[in-house]
Amino acid sequence: MSREAVTAAHVDSSPPHAGHGAHADAAHHGPVWLAHHFDTPAQQFDTAKIGMWVFLAQELLFFSGLFVAYGVYRSWYPEMFIAASRQLNKEMGATNTVVLLFSSLTVALAVRYSQVGNRKMTGRLILTTIGCACMFLVIKFFEYKHKFEGGLLPGRFYHPHLEHLVHGSPPLPDNTGSFFSIYFMMTGVHGIHVLIGIGVLIWVWIRNNRGEFSKEYFTPVDIVALYWHLVDLVWIYLFPLLYLI
Amino acid sequence: MSTAQHGHGLSHDDGAVHAHVSSVPFYIAVFLGLLFLTGMTVGQSYVDLGKANIVLVVVIATMKASLVATFFMHLRWDDKFNVLIFIGSLLFIGVFFAYTLKDTDRRGERDPDQNVHVWEKTGEAAPGGMPKKEHAAPASESGGSALPGAAGMTLPQH
Amino acid sequence: MAAITTSPAHHEEVDPNASYLEASKGIGNWLVTVDHKRIGVMYLIAVTIAFALGGVFALLVRAELFTKGRTIMDADTYNRMFSLHGVVMVFLFIIPSIPAAMGNIILPIQLGTKDVAFPKLNLLSLYVYVFGACFGIYSMINGGVDTGWTFYTPYSSSDPAHGGVGSPSAVLPMTLAAFIMGFSSILTGVNFIATIHKMRAPGLTWRRLTLFTWALYATSIIQVLATPVLAITLLLLTMERFLGLGIFDPRLGGDPVLFQHFFWFYSHPAVYIMIVPAMGVVSEIIATFSRREPVGYMAIAASSLGLALLGFLVWGHHLFVAGMSEYATMVFSALTFLVAIPSGVKIFNWVATLYKGSISLQSPMLWALSFLFLFTIGGLTGLFLGMLAVDVHLHDTYFVVAHFHYVMVGGTVMGFVGGLHYWWPKFTGKLYDEKWARFGWFFVFVGFNVTFLTQFVLGSRGMPRRYYDYLPQFQQLHQISTMGSWVLGFGFLVLGTMFVRSLIGGKPAPRNPWGSAALEWMTPTPPPLYNFVKDPVLTRGQYDYHLATDDELYEGYDDPLFPKRMSKESREAKARS
Repeated sequence: MSREAVTAAHVDSSPPHAGHGAHADAAHHGPVWLAHHFDTPAQQFDTAKIGMWVFLAQELLFFSGLFVAYGVYRSWYPEMFIAASRQLNKEMGATNTVVLLFSSLTVALAVRYSQVGNRKMTGRLILTTIGCACMFLVIKFFEYKHKFEGGLLPGRFYHPHLEHLVHGSPPLPDNTGSFFSIYFMMTGVHGIHVLIGIGVLIWVWIRNNRGEFSKEYFTPVDIVALYWHLVDLVWIYLFPLLYLI
Repeated sequence: MSTAQHGHGLSHDDGAVHAHVSSVPFYIAVFLGLLFLTGMTVGQSYVDLGKANIVLVVVIATMKASLVATFFMHLRWDDKFNVLIFIGSLLFIGVFFAYTLKDTDRRGERDPDQNVHVWEKTGEAAPGGMPKKEHAAPASESGGSALPGAAGMTLPQH
Repeated sequence: MAAITTSPAHHEEVDPNASYLEASKGIGNWLVTVDHKRIGVMYLIAVTIAFALGGVFALLVRAELFTKGRTIMDADTYNRMFSLHGVVMVFLFIIPSIPAAMGNIILPIQLGTKDVAFPKLNLLSLYVYVFGACFGIYSMINGGVDTGWTFYTPYSSSDPAHGGVGSPSAVLPMTLAAFIMGFSSILTGVNFIATIHKMRAPGLTWRRLTLFTWALYATSIIQVLATPVLAITLLLLTMERFLGLGIFDPRLGGDPVLFQHFFWFYSHPAVYIMIVPAMGVVSEIIATFSRREPVGYMAIAASSLGLALLGFLVWGHHLFVAGMSEYATMVFSALTFLVAIPSGVKIFNWVATLYKGSISLQSPMLWALSFLFLFTIGGLTGLFLGMLAVDVHLHDTYFVVAHFHYVMVGGTVMGFVGGLHYWWPKFTGKLYDEKWARFGWFFVFVGFNVTFLTQFVLGSRGMPRRYYDYLPQFQQLHQISTMGSWVLGFGFLVLGTMFVRSLIGGKPAPRNPWGSAALEWMTPTPPPLYNFVKDPVLTRGQYDYHLATDDELYEGYDDPLFPKRMSKESREAKARS
């Protein structure tokens, strides 16, 4: 129906629009998953989507502060950044990148199978995604452990132990603590997002098992997948900027 | 903008959800593309390209991010307004980035007295501070010996 | 539009046509409600308490400044008082005041929908706000903060407990409070954007949105894009104080001016979170009490969006004397002047709306006109401060204090209180005493100007802000200012009493007490649970007085204090002219 059809109507006292009855008669309508204040599934789906995208925009701005801090210090102390990034484990970082990309694939496929109503595959793929997320955190844990052992810690706590440093790397300037502050803040905030992601993935997994989703209603899977892709998106930038420069 | 058409259920004829469904091989192809780009970015880190390094990694990362956003996140088939939200937020990040760096990168260029990082209590320079550059470049233009960047090591001579 | 009736409802278990205040009783039902109107009412109560608290801090600050040297408190307490005044007023009152409290109630009704897009998220945002406020109260109990509301580093970030040299006060809980309340603001913004895009009633095109809706839309964009930056900034500040990151603290190789960039990237746009919704309220009031469609409707709507976008480009004008790059100062100064354009567009269009309008000076209109007058002063003095050379003299003086109080109080609070007068009958179903309302308005208006006009003079003569003590030549002006604050406080006391009296013994309000053509006045007072007895379908714009019927505008119209009645013919004639 076009917009004109609705707007170009009578001016005064037009009769009630057909299909918009009094609420007392139609307090609830449609399937159970259609919330009371929406008229159609499409409206509910589109609203959820736009809400999620606005939320993701907010997430991007949230991370942007860290990226600006990175940019400012990178531009002030390029040599220090290059020296410090040699202390990060490129192989572990790359592995984590592949793990996250793979989890992005599985969650995208989970949405796809949910769209066609294949509940079993959706469940499996969500579980795989959760597995990848946990694997990411485990690898991250070992990376953090190495940094703690080497004394490569944020700001005030930065006390490098020479025996733990990567051999043959350039010497670290005095202010390398700033790099590790940024490193820990960026990966830490990202890690918290991974944790939250695991939480919401478990939530949709349970709901999927309960059989709440169908071809007609898969919005929560889609929304959670969008969130998970964002976590991936941020890591796509974190990895090269921290490990590969 | 396509959003103006939406009223209560007026956006679709039957009010049902019509989302685009991509095929499984397609998703796997996108994933392989992402893997390829990851390999590329790791590979280039072994080659020293000097200042081009950072540009290249950001370009590759942006290509990867676009793949994820366009296909995994369905922006290709989504409401154009959602695309606008996404691109718009990146523009605001750009403003944040560019304007802040416009200050931090050019600070003290015109006033050598600015920008001296000193701990006033002891007069010692803060740990860190900008390493001295061999080519104290803009000194002749700005009429001072201040270094660009906030954390100049130039201490005032008391 | 005309499909809306006020007929009584049929009875069921929970009658959806009963007023939202009556639909289900008991405090428990209120605490778990997802009804946007009830959430808005709870927000309204919370921000009113915050306003009262912040007001008490303000009166104490002014009282201390009555004489040179010590008057009633020592310097440390004074520092905490003005910081708490700022923190409470900004984060607990102004930011949520119009959008989260009034917007929550009015927006879905003006859109003709049953609720906001995500009702549970809406309730969550209220609880996040309350949770954040608890941290703030915890900080206050532990001595409060003395950093100013801006939390500038390194004073805020260098903790004496860890060998630092900064503020010993309870900074951590207060920054956490602001951090948490930021999320409440973000959730409201997400909700409103989705609601405005997808939940409009049939026939409610973008061009038929009310200007209040447009203002809330612009505000939501800022809330969503700017507030997360505050969140990450405060997180970094917290970590800086806690762990010593060395990003903002110069002793550890950090840069304190970088904090100011981060902080103002949020806090300057936040100024527009505060003022744009008030502009929306004023647009509504002026349209209603001039009985006509606002002149330049699209220009006013677009200027709201313009303010939202330009607000992101000018934060550097807070850093002119902070040691920022001279190149950046020039760019920021030039951009700052651009903000005057959308503000001017609004002012001129409002004035044009008044011209040849059929004006009635009801109490909401008094507040709207006060807004025009005071905001113009606040806005124009902002241009002085945006000018590089002038700012060097005026920066951090009482001139700045007076400027932003003319914008925040003269603008936002006028809009807030005006909106409260305007929508009070709709919220509560009760009328208030118009004589008391005018009486209160008079004292607020006079008290405000006495308090803050003097501060322009003080500042231009060099009185720095936030100082505990001052030179003898400033004493007289300080005393005038303090006495003004008493008048101002008395005015608000009158208004508070008036609203309480209305709640207890007020006459029941008719459906459309002001004779407005907007959608929220077409539904019963107070509105039913799902806002309308029948889903509205719009067949005319919300300002089309010439198309509205006499019934829509004047049903239940019998009080002599109400706006003059205009016949349909004269409304149509006016629209043609």
